[in-house]
Amino acid sequence: MTVPESSTMDTLVVGRSARMRAVFEFLRVIGNSESTVLITGESGTGKEVTATLIHEQSRRRHRPFVAVSCALFSETLIESELFGHERGAFTGAIKDRPGRFEMADGGTIFLDDIDDVPLAMQVKLLRVLQNRTIERLGGVRPVPVNVRVIVGTKRDLKQLVADGAFREDLYYRLNVLPVTLPPLRERPEDINDLMDHFLSRYFRRRGEAVPAISESVKEAFKRYSWPGNVRELENACERMAQTCTCGTIRVGCVAASILFKAAAAAPVLTVPLSATPLPAMTPEPPGGVPAISLDERLRELESTLISWALKMSNGNKSKAAALLGVKRSTLGDRINRCGIAAPA
Amino acid sequence: MVSRLQVQAVLDRVRPFLLADGGDIELLAVDGNSATVRLTGACANCPSAHMTLHVGIETALREEMPDFEILRTPGATS
Repeated sequence: MTVPESSTMDTLVVGRSARMRAVFEFLRVIGNSESTVLITGESGTGKEVTATLIHEQSRRRHRPFVAVSCALFSETLIESELFGHERGAFTGAIKDRPGRFEMADGGTIFLDDIDDVPLAMQVKLLRVLQNRTIERLGGVRPVPVNVRVIVGTKRDLKQLVADGAFREDLYYRLNVLPVTLPPLRERPEDINDLMDHFLSRYFRRRGEAVPAISESVKEAFKRYSWPGNVRELENACERMAQTCTCGTIRVGCVAASILFKAAAAAPVLTVPLSATPLPAMTPEPPGGVPAISLDERLRELESTLISWALKMSNGNKSKAAALLGVKRSTLGDRINRCGIAAPA
Repeated sequence: MVSRLQVQAVLDRVRPFLLADGGDIELLAVDGNSATVRLTGACANCPSAHMTLHVGIETALREEMPDFEILRTPGATS
């Protein structure tokens, strides 16, 4: 699912997981709002993409969208960057320069990494949000600005408030419409869609057919934890698109570091509810939905996890038992029950 | 001296992915602190995939065994 259709497809957030659907739904609801949005999400989860999306579907879409990372500037520079300065305000200020707020007039400003804004600057931001006017550095008159504010943060602002690193009054000013972007590891069901999305983008750009992706690559991608989130996945897809020579994306196109980390992760356990019933299942279930045997599925699950633990511990049953958090004797019983042969 | 078992254990971690893709990595020899492997399957014939796997596996071997020196793959330019 890719929502909403009106926006430029290329910059969109992709995801069919319940978590992302909830995010899209919320974005749709706040579409016409003018209120401040607080986007919380780890690095690479798509904060700026989300901010763009909010701007694109707002009434301000034909006005400027200005994105600033507050982490880029030193404490003294950030004020002149955001609010601008008058000629002669400081050495080197040879002419008047409007700040980002003025550049965004009529549109939206996205202040990313708001958690990196120093306390002294937070007071000034609070005043801007309250009065909707800015004062240029070295200026004497307040300049009214009509700007919708969206802020992004990697860290939990509420926690920073509790730690005394973020002003409580500013937090409440910002936290009007909160959007939380889940990390990719919490929505592995979206990984396939994201791969398709990025790969087709790279191949279409080159005017080539999108190659098939091997099951092995899909499995590795699903198991990997993606600490860099969607951005890391996007880069991995770009790499695959650049290096694939055989018409199918295979494990050799994937960075080996991803393969090794994926191999160390426990298998992703998805229960294929729509899959064709296994022979052991009841052939004619009531209501047309194929019945599954819970015992059978649990045994499969158990056997998958035990095999994984044995592989990780090179067949050492004591280590495997420790990995699974069971006693060595319990593991022995279960291995016998599942009929797993220890790896050679 | 690295042991054959240690090298095989590292290879075995990624082998399931290679096998699932119709390929494999076979440990031919361990001599001193180096090893020789043979890659098979579609990825063995693709220059960039071959390099990716070669370099990636060599890096993993060195991480596991700091003394590990060189991973050789005969019959391929690398």
